[in-house]
Amino acid sequence: MKRYKKKVLLPVAGMVVVAGLAACGGNNDESANASNNGTNSNGDLSEERMSVRIMAPSFAPDPVGNDSPALQAIEDYTNMDIELQFVANANYEDRFNVTLASGDLPEIIVAYKDASFISAAEDGAFWDVTDYLDDYENLSGANEVVLNNASINGRQYGIYRSRPLGRNAATINTQWLENLGLEMPTTIEEFHEVLRAFTYDDPNQSGQDDTYGMVVSEWEGPWDQMQVWFGTPNEWGENENGELEPDFMSDEYRDALAFFREMYEEGLVNEDFAIMDSGEWFDPFVSQQAGMVVDVADQANRLQNQITDDYSDDEIIVDVFGGVEGPNGLQIKPTTGYHGVLAISTTSVETEEELRRVLQFLNDLSDEEPQNLSYNGVEGVHHEVNEDGTVDITSQSEGGDLFDREVRDLNQFQVAIPEEKFKLPPQSALQQRADEVMEENMEYVVPNPAEPLVSNTYRERGSQLDNIIDDARIQYIVGQIDESGLDEAVERWLNSGGTEYMQEINEAYQEAQAAQ
Amino acid sequence: MAKNTTQALETNKISFWDKMKRDRWLYFLVLPGLIWFIVFKYVPMWGTLIAFQNYSPFLGFWGSEWVGFDHFERLFQNPDFFRVLRNTLILAFYETIFVFPAPIILALMLNEIRMTGYKRTIQTLVYMPNFLSWVIIASLTFVFFTTNGGVVNMIIEYFTGSTVNFLGDPNWFRTMIIGQQIWKDAGFGTIIFLAALTSVSKEQYEAAIVDGAGRFRRMWHVTLPAIRHVIIILLILRMGNFLDQGFQQIYLMTNALNRQVAEVFDVYIYFTGITQGAFSHSTAVGLFKGVVGIVLILGTRYIAKRLNQETLF
Amino acid sequence: MKQHNTPMGRVFDVFNYIFLGIIGLAMVLPFMYVIAGSLATEAELAARPFFILPETITFAAYEYIFSTTTFLRSIGVSILVTVGGTITSLALTLTMGYALSKTRIIGHTVMIYLVIFTIIFQGGMVPTYLLIRDLGLLDSLWALILPIAMNPMWLIIVISFFRTLPVELEESAKLDGATDMGVFLKIALPLSKPIIATFTLFYAVQYWGDYFNALLYITDNAKYPVMLLLQNIMTMADVRFGEVDQLVEQPDQSLTLAVIVVATIPIMFVYPFLQKYFAKGMLLGSVKG
Repeated sequence: MKRYKKKVLLPVAGMVVVAGLAACGGNNDESANASNNGTNSNGDLSEERMSVRIMAPSFAPDPVGNDSPALQAIEDYTNMDIELQFVANANYEDRFNVTLASGDLPEIIVAYKDASFISAAEDGAFWDVTDYLDDYENLSGANEVVLNNASINGRQYGIYRSRPLGRNAATINTQWLENLGLEMPTTIEEFHEVLRAFTYDDPNQSGQDDTYGMVVSEWEGPWDQMQVWFGTPNEWGENENGELEPDFMSDEYRDALAFFREMYEEGLVNEDFAIMDSGEWFDPFVSQQAGMVVDVADQANRLQNQITDDYSDDEIIVDVFGGVEGPNGLQIKPTTGYHGVLAISTTSVETEEELRRVLQFLNDLSDEEPQNLSYNGVEGVHHEVNEDGTVDITSQSEGGDLFDREVRDLNQFQVAIPEEKFKLPPQSALQQRADEVMEENMEYVVPNPAEPLVSNTYRERGSQLDNIIDDARIQYIVGQIDESGLDEAVERWLNSGGTEYMQEINEAYQEAQAAQ
Repeated sequence: MAKNTTQALETNKISFWDKMKRDRWLYFLVLPGLIWFIVFKYVPMWGTLIAFQNYSPFLGFWGSEWVGFDHFERLFQNPDFFRVLRNTLILAFYETIFVFPAPIILALMLNEIRMTGYKRTIQTLVYMPNFLSWVIIASLTFVFFTTNGGVVNMIIEYFTGSTVNFLGDPNWFRTMIIGQQIWKDAGFGTIIFLAALTSVSKEQYEAAIVDGAGRFRRMWHVTLPAIRHVIIILLILRMGNFLDQGFQQIYLMTNALNRQVAEVFDVYIYFTGITQGAFSHSTAVGLFKGVVGIVLILGTRYIAKRLNQETLF
Repeated sequence: MKQHNTPMGRVFDVFNYIFLGIIGLAMVLPFMYVIAGSLATEAELAARPFFILPETITFAAYEYIFSTTTFLRSIGVSILVTVGGTITSLALTLTMGYALSKTRIIGHTVMIYLVIFTIIFQGGMVPTYLLIRDLGLLDSLWALILPIAMNPMWLIIVISFFRTLPVELEESAKLDGATDMGVFLKIALPLSKPIIATFTLFYAVQYWGDYFNALLYITDNAKYPVMLLLQNIMTMADVRFGEVDQLVEQPDQSLTLAVIVVATIPIMFVYPFLQKYFAKGMLLGSVKG
C-alpha cells in the first residue's frame, strides 16, 4: 500500500548509512583489481564494452555530463559504455511516462512503484529479475524485507535502490532535558511527561510561558510513526483469523489516537498543526520554541546545523531516539527501505545474455570502488582521503560547481546492495549517534505485510480512501469529531471501496503466501 | 459609415476566386498562424480519444484497450462526484464575480491617478506578486493567518479577544482562495485594460467635461465603454475554462479540516491522475469540463449578443 | 483643465491615492521578504516568520549562485528563448490576428471557432511529446518556443483590438493603392503600440516562466532555462508532490529565496521598460490639459 500524501523528507547526502560502514578503509587499487578479475570471469560478453543508457533523476542544477572523469572511471571498472540521461527531478514522473510512450526506452531506467510502472511492468515493459538475483555476488545479498517491499505481488521488476529501513526517529532538545533534570524518554508515560514538562515547566528557564512540547505540521507522517509505538500495525496487520486488516481497525490505533487527542488538549503540540505549512515545520524547533520533532534520524544534524552553523561537538544540544516503548514493547515504523528501482527495459535489452550483462554491471557497481566513485568522485580530483579513512570532498568545500558537474548525481543509479561501502566525510558525534539509532531501529521495525500487494480498487481510489481516514484522524485529534465520528469514517471508507480493497489485498496476500 | 462601405463591397456578388485574389495578402497573413494551430493544436488532438481507452503509455495508442464510456461512468458514479462538482461550481462562481472584475476596478482606479510617477510606481508594485509562486504565497499566507502567532490573528485577538481559524475553518476556505487570487493576479491583469484605455483621447474627456459630467459619469460614460469590448471577450473566453482552477494553489491550501469544500476537479484529476487510469480517466474528466465550457461559452455569447454587445464571433 | 471639479471627486481622489498606496505596499512586501530572506541566515529565517530587514546580512547564497557557471548560463538560455519566442509569437499572433479581424475573408468564422476550440480542448502531454519528437525538435530550443508560440485567448483579444481601429485610415490608404500588407505594416501596426507592448510583455512573461516544456523536451543541461533550475530547487526544498530521495541534500532556505530573486528580477524589468507605451493617449492628454 502506498500512500500519496504531502511529504517532506529533508535528507542529507552521505549521512545515510545502513550498517557497518566505519570499517571500510583499505587500499583502493588492490580491491579494485580483485573485483575486476571477478568481473571478467563472469560471462563471455565482457571482453567488449557494452553500451548502456541510464535514465535517472538529477538533483544538481547542472547534472553530471558524460565526460565526467568519475563516470569514466566507473566505465573502466565495469567495462561498460555508459550514456547518462539525467532528467531534472522536478517532474521525473511525467518524463518517465512520455519515455514509455515514445517506445524508445533506455536499457536502465529509474522507476517508482506507481500506477504507470505497475501497468507497464504487467504489460511486459521490464524484465522480471526475481530469479536472477541469486546469481550475483552483491545482488544476492539484498535485504529480504526491502525486496518484498519493492516487489509487485512478489516479483522484482528492477533492482531496488537501497535506503535505510530504520531511518524514522525523533529529534529532541537535550538542553531542555538537562534543565528539567529529565532523562531521554523510553516509555509512553515518560514521553508524555517530557512533553508536559517542555510545555509547562519552563524548560528554557526564561521565566515565561514561551515553549511547547512537540511541533507537527499538516504532514501526517509523525502520527503514522507515533501510532506504531502504541502497537498499531504498520498500515496493515493480521487479525486473529490471519486476514489482513488496515491499521485503523485495531484497538491500539484507537488508544494511540486517544493519547494524541489528550496531548493536543493539553497544549503539548502546536495548536495550528493541522494547517501548518510543511515548509515551516522545523522553524519552532530551530528557534527553540518546541522541544521535539518526530521525523527521521538524519534530520537531527540538519536541525543542529540551523541552530548553530558549522557546529562543533560540544555545541550539540539535540539528540535522537527511534521511538518509545508501548504496550507491545518497542515498535518502530520502518521506511520502505528503498527509493525506486532500476528497471531493465525488455525492448532495449532483448536477450537473456544481454540481461545478464546488465545485471552484472549493476552488481559490479555495488563494489567498493564504484561506490566511492559515485559518492565521492575521483581521489585527488574531487576528494582527498584522510588518515582515518574519512574523506574530504574538496571539490565541494572549495566552492564552485565541480562536484555538481562531475559527481553528485552519479549515486542515482547506485543500488548499494548489500550495503553502502563508500567512505564518508568526518562525522560529528550527532551524525554517528543518528547512524547508531538507525541501526538499532532495525531490530524493532514492524514490516507492512501489504507493501508488495497490488489492489485495483486502491489504484483507482487510493488517495480518496486514504484521505477519509487521515482527515478523520486529524479531526479527532483536534476535537472536531469523537469516537462515533471515527466509526463513521471507517464506515464511509468501507462503502467507498474499502471493502473491495481489503478483499483484493487479502486475495493477493493468500496468493503470495501460497507461492512461497 | 466606412464599415458600411466594406460590407457593401462584400455583399456584392463576386466570385470565390475574385475574393481570394482581392484578399490574397490577408490569406498570406493568416497562413503561418493557421498552420501553427493545425500542427501544434490539432495534430495532438487524438490524445483526447484516450478518454475512451485504458491507455497505457507502453502499449501506446494503438495497443491500448478501448473501453467506451467506462471512464465517464466511473466519474459520474463516484460517490464524491457531486461534492466535487458543487465545490468547483461555487468556487468558479466566486471567481467570476470577485476575481474577474478586480483588475478592471484596479485599472479604473489607476486611471484616475494623475501624478505620473506615483501611478507608474503603483503599477509596477501591483504587478509584482504575479511572479511569486504559489508555494511561496501559501507559505506566507500561513505565516500571516495562522492562529498561532500570525499577525492578522494577533490584531484580531487584540480587538475581539478571540482568533479566527482562517486556514482550518471550511467557511473561510473560498474567501482565502479568492483573496489569494486577487492578490496575485489583479495587478498583472490591469495591464490589458490599461492598454485598452490608451485608446481614449483627451478630447473625449474634455467634451464630457464641457457637458458637465463629473468624475463618476466620465468614468461610466467615457472610460468604461473604451474597455467594454475587452471585458466582454475576456468574460466569454473565461467561461470556456469555467471549471478550471489552479491545481497547485488549491492543493497547497487544502488540509484535513477543510477538504470537504476544497476538493475541486483539478485536484481530483491530479489524484486520479497519479493512481490508475492515469491518462484516460483524467482525459475523460477534461472532456467533461470542456463540454461544460463549450455550453457556457455559447450561452454567454448568446446573452451578450442579445444585449447588443460585440462578441467577435 | 480643472481636475478636482467636485467635492465628491476630491474625496475620491484622496481615498484613491491612499487606497492604491496601501495596495501597492501590500503587494510589494512579500517580495521584499523574499529578498531579505535571501540575505539572511538560516537561524534568522527560522526564528522570524516575516521580516524585511535581516539582522545579519550574508551574501553567501548569491556567492554560491554566481560561483557556478550554471545559473548564469541558464539565464542566458532563458533570455534567448524569451527574446526569440516573443518575436515568433508576436509575428504569428499579429499577422493572424490582423487577418482574422477582417470579416470579409473566407472561412473567417470557422477559423475563429477553430481557435476557440483549442482554448477548451487540448491533446495532452503524450501526443504533444510524440509530435515534438517526430518534428525532430527534442533538445532544441525551438521545443521551448513552438509548442506555446500562440495563446489562443490572446489571439482573440488581438483580433478584437484590430477591429476597434478606425476603418477610415485603411480605406484612404487603399484608395492610394496600398495593399492589405501595406495597410497592416504601415497603418495597423503603428496604431497598435499599446497592444503590441501588452502582448510583448505577456509572451515574454510566459516564455520566461515556462519550465514544463524544458522538463519534457530538453535533456542537454546546457540548454536548461533558469526556471527549470528554480523548479528543481523548489521541489528539493519543499516536497509536497511525491517522495523525495533521501540522498538529496536539502538546499538552504536562503539559497532557494536567492534563486527566486535571481530568476525573477530580469523579467520584472521588462514591464517598466514597456510602460511608456501604456502611458500614451489619454493619460498624456489629461496631464497636459
